[in-house]
Amino acid sequence: MKRIFLLATVVMVFSSAPAGADESGAEFLEKQCASCHDLKGPAPATIRDLWKRDAPDLFYAGNKFRREWLVEWLQKPVRIRPAGVNYLRSINSTPPENQKKRSGRQFDVLWGTVLKPLKHVTLSAADANKAADALMDLAPHYELVANEKYTNPPGVTLDSGEILIDKVYGCVSCHQIEPGYGGYTGAELYTAGKRLQPEYMLSYIERPKNWDPKIWMPNGHVKPDDLQKIVKYLILLSKEDFHASN
Amino acid sequence: MRLTRMIFAAAVLMFVASPFSYAEEAYLNYKQYCMQCHGMHGKGDGVNVPAMNVLPRDHSDNKYMMTRTNTEIYKAIKFGGPAVNKSVKMPAWGDTFTEQELQELVGHIRTLCCEKELVRGVNFK
Repeated sequence: MKRIFLLATVVMVFSSAPAGADESGAEFLEKQCASCHDLKGPAPATIRDLWKRDAPDLFYAGNKFRREWLVEWLQKPVRIRPAGVNYLRSINSTPPENQKKRSGRQFDVLWGTVLKPLKHVTLSAADANKAADALMDLAPHYELVANEKYTNPPGVTLDSGEILIDKVYGCVSCHQIEPGYGGYTGAELYTAGKRLQPEYMLSYIERPKNWDPKIWMPNGHVKPDDLQKIVKYLILLSKEDFHASN
Repeated sequence: MRLTRMIFAAAVLMFVASPFSYAEEAYLNYKQYCMQCHGMHGKGDGVNVPAMNVLPRDHSDNKYMMTRTNTEIYKAIKFGGPAVNKSVKMPAWGDTFTEQELQELVGHIRTLCCEKELVRGVNFK
């Protein structure tokens, strides 16, 4: 009887090996990412807490990112938010002499670490895959994306989308729709289509506060039809090659 | 007697300190949400501005701001630029702020543009 019990114990221990492999992904994240990224949530509920944030929250990465983009990005990390994750840390009201406008009108300028290449761990292909798998498992906000459905509306072109984004809803004030064109304090939009899941984009644009209660992106009260068109435009935009020579 | 004094002191402290705490919250909100376009000193020269075709309002412009009522400023913040016949570049922040925060922000903007008038007790409507 004792032998059977021992055998059962041994079988149980070894059969739980896949769970162990799963855990190693989570452990990997904990070791590599947790010192800067929030992997547990919830999102900061006060402005002061938000200002303590050093890197984007990843606790809902599985609701947010496309896995293939994560794998690619983790092997070659580049900056996504031109003004950094907290723009207040990286602006300065006195531009250096060489950046002063001849017209006499001056603006606040980016300053500090955001002017240098992003400092981020670069992973090998195997590690990037492991981290991406573990990140895709972090999906606590299922209820926010469950009711969103991307309809892939017809008739949206890069031009009509740009009119929506720029003239109708004014997103370009803070977001760039091509490298160097647009505001600095939002995440770049020309990679959003390949970076983010369509359902996440729908839900986030609809009400950013649901995902990040104190974020400096307003609720634009985008009409449902326009919301679909904007997401379609972002997906179209992300397929453009911005580094192609003219 | 001592208790009465303490209650009196607490009441005085609350009366004196509360406007400052409101002011601080309003400043935090201004810093967090408005500075990206209206600039670190509220002069309409925020970091995002070079890409804009319509420039944000200079909140320190006393001459212009004195022509606007508090209600108009409140509407511009809550419902966005189009609500006061201005640009869509000013988004609606009604979902971001509570009613009290909106009122405090209007008060904060008045401190940027119209400090002398505030001291004189002008009614901004």
